[in-house]
Amino acid sequence: MSTAQSLHQGRKRKNAVMMALCVVAAGIGLAWLALILGALLYKGLAGVNPAVFTEMTPPPGDAGGLLNAIYGSIVMTVIGIIVGTPIGVLAGTYMAEYGRFSKLTTVVRFINDILLSAPSIIIGLFVYELMVRPMGHFSAIAGAVSLSILVIPVVVRTTEDMLNLVPNALREAGTAIGAPRWVVIRSVAYRAAMSGIVTGILLAIARISGETAPLLFTALNNQFWSSNLNAPMASLPVTIFQFALSPYEEWQQLAWTGALIITLTVLGLSIIARSLTGRREDR
Amino acid sequence: MKPMLSTDLNAPDATVEKAKIEVKNLNFYYGQSKALKDINLSLPERSVTAFIGPSGCGKSTLLRVLNRIYELYPKQSAEGQVLLDGKNILDRSQDLNLLRTKIGMVFQKPTPFPMSIYENIAFGVRLYEKISKAEMDSRVEQALKRAALWSEVKDKLNASGLSLSGGQQQRLCIARTVAVKPEVILLDEPASALDPLSTAKIEELIDELQADYTIVIVTHNMQQAARVSRQTAFMYLGELVEFDRTEKIFTSPREKRTQDYITGRFG
Repeated sequence: MSTAQSLHQGRKRKNAVMMALCVVAAGIGLAWLALILGALLYKGLAGVNPAVFTEMTPPPGDAGGLLNAIYGSIVMTVIGIIVGTPIGVLAGTYMAEYGRFSKLTTVVRFINDILLSAPSIIIGLFVYELMVRPMGHFSAIAGAVSLSILVIPVVVRTTEDMLNLVPNALREAGTAIGAPRWVVIRSVAYRAAMSGIVTGILLAIARISGETAPLLFTALNNQFWSSNLNAPMASLPVTIFQFALSPYEEWQQLAWTGALIITLTVLGLSIIARSLTGRREDR
Repeated sequence: MKPMLSTDLNAPDATVEKAKIEVKNLNFYYGQSKALKDINLSLPERSVTAFIGPSGCGKSTLLRVLNRIYELYPKQSAEGQVLLDGKNILDRSQDLNLLRTKIGMVFQKPTPFPMSIYENIAFGVRLYEKISKAEMDSRVEQALKRAALWSEVKDKLNASGLSLSGGQQQRLCIARTVAVKPEVILLDEPASALDPLSTAKIEELIDELQADYTIVIVTHNMQQAARVSRQTAFMYLGELVEFDRTEKIFTSPREKRTQDYITGRFG
């Protein structure tokens, strides 16, 4: 066998080994995901019935549902998004459009990245000091604020990134036709980046709908129906946390079902986000 | 401002025409580096002027001074004078948006806005005029006819501008520019991203448009410059080397550097 051939054989063997390692690593990663999803479906689906969506969280030992927790999660998520999205989009717009060449943008981006990776429990503690202590009690609005603080960095980041992907030629074209800067941003840049920005918002929803730690310190929980924003409010993650740790079978079952609901919601949002970005790339 | 560099547009046949744009002692800087060196030239009204020269010679830079689009970027600055109908547009008091409605620009790569074909044209018109739907419809139709695109798109005005082919997109951009009724149209290598057939269409269009507009075209394609323009400016390393009637530049240039460039000895 010639040298070239033996070198070639050696490379082929190395390739096979590396490939096998990669496949095994990917398999291990996917296996956990499949196990988690499988367990959720198996245990969670068993508890899915109309009562889950129509009845309140029960006292220990009783049957009941998750209506107040689902409601609370939706309310706090929606407020969090409504508060956080405009701030995030406007900040991202500043960074990508007006302040693209400014030092401030670099500083804001750096701080935003820190905020993006800050543990959410810190955010919870921060809002606890900022709102819960002065107010003297836990409240849904404090929960919503802590969620909105989690929304901002995600939306800032995606908005800036997506606007930066809009070719400068398009901005120049808008400017060259006599459009003022804000019209170029609103009618040209936003339009071109729309699907990406919406994707960022969906990802932010997905992120906050599963957050537990910041809500523990702010909205706490509520066994009963409450639509009062100035009072503690139930949420799915906190309810799951409480019920899963309890010794009562009914509660544990509801925790599984709640976990399934959150997971499917996040999965759905991710699929929508994916299909939106996918459409963008096809174009 | 009589004689301009070593070139002169004061040649008998050129002086009869009214200058639409006069550039005087123009210097341009990217940060510290000087990209245009003491440019003087005057562009006659309702005719096509071509800027040619090798890459990096400053021809696009010069074009981008004429509508001050360079101001989108910090650290770019111009000094000297650019007179549009005798009024210095480099003046601080010049309203940039109004300037750009008078001096339209079409870019190298087609840049349709992410909206329908109709909206692509209506967008610019709507910025400065309040007109009825019917008037807008006819305005859009006229602009598309002017850009020789109407017959191809009249049945799909609501389709996205991005759904058109490259050549069609570029004609849409020309239509969009024409629709706001500018006086000058700047073309920055408008056909360099297009196939020969689309290029021919664009050139035909330029030829028709010069009846109504003062046109400036930057091109690195010398045949194109020879085909479409009436006068040609040859630039090299930020200097205006020679500016004269196009036939003159391509047949008996005064400068050796021009001669070398058009015969393909460099660039």
